Amino acid sequence: MRQKYLAVAVCCALQVPTVAAETISGTVLDDKGVPVTGAVLRVEQSSTRVKTNESGEFSINSVKPGTYSVHVMAPGFGHLHQDIVVDDGRHFTVDFVLTPSSIEVIDILATPIHLSVMESASPVSVLSGETLRRQQAGTLGDSLEKLPGVQSNFHGNVASTPIIRGLSGPRVLVTQNGLDVSDVSRVGPDHAVASEASTSQQIEVLRGPATLFFGSGAIGGVVNVVDGRVPSDNTTRGEWTLEADSVNDQKLAAVNATTGAGNLGFYIDGYWRETDDYDTPVAPDNDEEGQNAPHVVKNSASDSNGITLGTSYISDNGYVGIALERFNREYGIPGHSHGGEEAEEEVYADLSQTKVQILGEYSFNHTLLQRVQFKAGHTSYEHAEIEQDVTGTLFENDTDELRVSLMHQPLAGWNGGVSLHYKTSDVAAVGEEAFTPPSTADMFAIGIMEEQRFGNVLVQLGARVERVTLDAANTLLPAIAAHDHDEEDDDDHDHDHDHDDEHSDETTVTRVFDVSQEFTPVSFSAGVVWDFTEGYNVGLSVSRAQRAPSASELLSFGPHIGTRTYEVGALFALTGDEESALGLSQQAVDLETSNNIDLTLRKTTGDIGFVLNAFYNQVDNYYFQSETGLFAESGHDHDHGDEHDHDAEDEHDHDSELPVYLFSSHDAVLHGFEAQAAWQVNAEFNAQFFADYVRAKLKDGGDLPRTPPLRTGLQLNYQTESISAHIDVTRYHKQDDIAEYETETNGYTLVDAFVSYDLNVLSQDVSVYLKGTNLTDTEARVHSSFLKDLAPRPGRSIGVGLRGYF
Amino acid sequence: MTKNNTLSILALAISGALLGGCGDAETNIIEKDPIVDDHDHDGGGEHDHDDLTIESAGRLAILNADANALVIVDLDDNQELDTFPLASEGNTLTHSGGYRYVVVSNRATGEVTFIDGGLWREDHVDHLHDYEQVPATSDLTLTGSRPTHLVKHDGQLAVFYDGDSDAGLPASVQVVSDTHIAAESSAIPTLAYTVNMHGVAEPMDDYLIATVRRDDAESTSANTILPDSVGVFHLHDDEYEEEVVFAGECPDLHGAASSETYSVFGCSDGVLIVHQHDGEWESSKIDNTDSLSSVRVGSVYGHHHGDYFIGVASGHGGGEATLVTIDPETNSMRDVALELGDDAVPVSYAFSYSGEYFVVLDSSGRLTALHSHGEGDAQHWDTEVSLAVTSGSAADMPDGLSFTMAVSGNSDHVYISNPIDKTMVRVDLDSGVIDGEVSLDYLAETVIWLGIAETEHE
Repeated sequence: MRQKYLAVAVCCALQVPTVAAETISGTVLDDKGVPVTGAVLRVEQSSTRVKTNESGEFSINSVKPGTYSVHVMAPGFGHLHQDIVVDDGRHFTVDFVLTPSSIEVIDILATPIHLSVMESASPVSVLSGETLRRQQAGTLGDSLEKLPGVQSNFHGNVASTPIIRGLSGPRVLVTQNGLDVSDVSRVGPDHAVASEASTSQQIEVLRGPATLFFGSGAIGGVVNVVDGRVPSDNTTRGEWTLEADSVNDQKLAAVNATTGAGNLGFYIDGYWRETDDYDTPVAPDNDEEGQNAPHVVKNSASDSNGITLGTSYISDNGYVGIALERFNREYGIPGHSHGGEEAEEEVYADLSQTKVQILGEYSFNHTLLQRVQFKAGHTSYEHAEIEQDVTGTLFENDTDELRVSLMHQPLAGWNGGVSLHYKTSDVAAVGEEAFTPPSTADMFAIGIMEEQRFGNVLVQLGARVERVTLDAANTLLPAIAAHDHDEEDDDDHDHDHDHDDEHSDETTVTRVFDVSQEFTPVSFSAGVVWDFTEGYNVGLSVSRAQRAPSASELLSFGPHIGTRTYEVGALFALTGDEESALGLSQQAVDLETSNNIDLTLRKTTGDIGFVLNAFYNQVDNYYFQSETGLFAESGHDHDHGDEHDHDAEDEHDHDSELPVYLFSSHDAVLHGFEAQAAWQVNAEFNAQFFADYVRAKLKDGGDLPRTPPLRTGLQLNYQTESISAHIDVTRYHKQDDIAEYETETNGYTLVDAFVSYDLNVLSQDVSVYLKGTNLTDTEARVHSSFLKDLAPRPGRSIGVGLRGYF
Repeated sequence: MTKNNTLSILALAISGALLGGCGDAETNIIEKDPIVDDHDHDGGGEHDHDDLTIESAGRLAILNADANALVIVDLDDNQELDTFPLASEGNTLTHSGGYRYVVVSNRATGEVTFIDGGLWREDHVDHLHDYEQVPATSDLTLTGSRPTHLVKHDGQLAVFYDGDSDAGLPASVQVVSDTHIAAESSAIPTLAYTVNMHGVAEPMDDYLIATVRRDDAESTSANTILPDSVGVFHLHDDEYEEEVVFAGECPDLHGAASSETYSVFGCSDGVLIVHQHDGEWESSKIDNTDSLSSVRVGSVYGHHHGDYFIGVASGHGGGEATLVTIDPETNSMRDVALELGDDAVPVSYAFSYSGEYFVVLDSSGRLTALHSHGEGDAQHWDTEVSLAVTSGSAADMPDGLSFTMAVSGNSDHVYISNPIDKTMVRVDLDSGVIDGEVSLDYLAETVIWLGIAETEHE
């Protein structure tokens, strides 16, 4: 494994030029002198990318004199960064020698500077290629959950978001090609992420604060879904998948293709997925008595599809292009019953998004400016929650975003640049679940990132300042009849939840506020990576990141059916007054500040490799919800007509009350580790081990809720030219560090297996594969899920599929 | 968006949070006028929360016959808000299930489009939220073969597409709520038939009580394009699936209405009642009265909260009419006395918003309001209001036009367009007088009431 700009003399031989031409050619070899086929070489000062042929040879044409950093990447090898100097009128022959790595190393594309699992001060992971295809699931969190440090908040197979080091929701930003995915998945666990894994090319995870690159939403990390929708080259290639799985009768078809001619590149992808309700090893509802209850999670079916079209103009110095995506997903919301033991209401979500992205990169031969990276996006998102075939709540999110990164030529040895970032979002929810008032958020930021290598030490520095405004002209503070359940037991169960009865002859007042907020979060980080000895490095990253709380954390006031809570934002506080239990908070609204230290030890080369990360994250003013002990009317009835209908009233008898959860901020500490080790036993066998753990506590005592448990995993891989076989065993340990109102969750072990066989059909590469998940059919309840007691993970599933490449 | 004033009566400024000199947060909160809810039972039904609600008489959508354009008028100040030219001639106009939209249905083009009146209510759980916006066209278009009968019931609108046997197109039904229209939803609950028919469908929550045309050889209808059966269909994933069919019980079915409990269909030999009892769907039949020897009930009117219906029996295409009351509770039908103007025939019928009045507008411009008295078997309907809205002669009626009316959805008022005098009058049914009149500078062909409907407690 090599660090950036590390010129290793033994690896390259600069030979005497023979022909006068501006061409770099040569061979990529492994450490035994065997040519490496399909290695990618990228000249960082231009957007040139070439691949080696079957003899490991490459040729880069039209190179002007100057100093270049060449980045060489190939599967199974560590990355090589090497500086070369091209003089006027010479033809270079240069050989690159790659060192095998037992841990796959893939560059992150989310950031304008290179980051990878082995090379950066802050920890990252990437899921790509065959591993991505093997682990992709219908929801984003489930797709990523085998990565160290990432777990899923599993929401009954229909929605899930990644939890990074115990943080999720408004702290983990989900982006598509580096631009905010702009859905409402950060607001509720039952809201799916508007992004698809089956058409993506890689998914990247930045663990720990990444506000430097992405701003407020990324204080806990970033998940970036990358696809080739704006092609940067036009080599014709493509991939298709057909798959069927037994546990939920999933049928999946996905395809993506890139082609082009001349300076034009074209891209298309599409997918279609349909699933039924999934089977479970036990009765899904923990409270359900007896074994007669069906072992099916009702209303967990989904139906989704999407299509993306893109085109680009590609020149020697870069590319610019535009892509249009239409994304549709319809899914049941399991556990969304308000009638308790009664028949479950079939509530489902219907979301659609139209996304336009303009992406480009251009390299300059300029004394100061080296490269410009340009990303702009417009998304229009709509998400209806439909009950009894009537739209109960309609969420909308319209976002425009622009990010321009200007990378300079090396300045006194420093590589890096300045990033300008603008984003504006209009978020509204209309209808029964409109617990957050309509708001507009604007963000403008300027950031700087620099890195330099001093001998064996790489130094990475960054800073960013943001201005975030949040405006909500009609923030409501209703005088809810919140009450304590203990005090009015019987009476409480009798009243019929007609509002008239509840406040009979009283005058109630809903206070209305025009709220405008302005935040100036400042983040900075410093990191070093020291190659203290051959094949090893140690990284230290220290960062201070700030975040503006989100609209839902501040302004909410109303029932959130997805979590079955009555949410009240941090702008409000308990008054202790009987008349109106909640009033305007007198506490100032503060920024959330994370002070994070990350320590990483890596063994980067050889048959055995490992990456060990330890982190300590002290978060001041950590916003979270806590139970107030009060209950309030959900007011949620299923009769959307002009009148109450008598049936509805009977049905919603005494189950329409929700516990009141209040957002407030307290200091918290999260610390933990991730460990990853790999042993390349021989050319065919590879064994991997991983473990992760996070402890999330309030400084004043008490644990944070829904914190993922300690996890350990073992993966055995067998790979020949035509056969690929994998066995995954993951142990989720018992979680007994629980918040006040939580219950402990038992540990469980999941066993998954995958085997594929490569064929050549009609001169196409086709693999046929068989996969099994949860082979022991074990009951697995996810501690970090809101549906822990209602929807365990799916039972044993066998899937078959065909995948082709062209 | 809301009507509450943005006058600030209190300004709270909370600022601070300087963290080690870096990073800054500032919050400004201005308290506006609160929303006061005094919970008086003023006819607001259970929706008497005044949170963010709007007191408005509503709006009228008036079809300007000359321009074939819809004019939206604000009834609070009688100002014209906007005009929407209609693309095709020969439209049928009505309101949507929740009175927010004008529904423009065209049998020839097969299109059903919507114009947003701009006044509507949303239930935000803790409060009702009323919206008052400028009228606008909706992007939603429903299409089918020959949309004909449009039935509104309990917030839903059922569009019955008759289909076309010549073109081999079967009949179908689409059901939309105002929320569907607002969301421009592509998932429209639909009932698809295999044959064409001149039918009708009544939406009842997630059921649809709809006509069924049997094989012509089996049909009891004299004219087999009229169905002779009624089916109950239940909604599953945007599609209505058959639960039960009452086969052959209603020959030559035409006309239907529903209350909260019952659906009534007009048949050549009486009326068919369908309702749910202990979870089972049941049908019953009421035979025609003796006075209906040569005519049959071809139109039925009902009120959501009423347990009675009024059937209208007349020759096809209007003309003289016989009115009967239909009481599904006692399974009885009886004649209603109705006196109209000289040589006049009824042109329009409707229940008032409260269900207390059944109003009949005739071709002479006379409005007759019947009021119910008594209960059960003793119930009878008497003329309570009889009022001429014009002093002009019916002979002066411009060609192709007639008097038309719209009943308010939130008060016992009726709006009547008078093309003879080019006026629009408002009649207060409780006092029985004309209490408003405006002149129009165009000839009105149809009038539709739009706004925030209220329902009175029983």
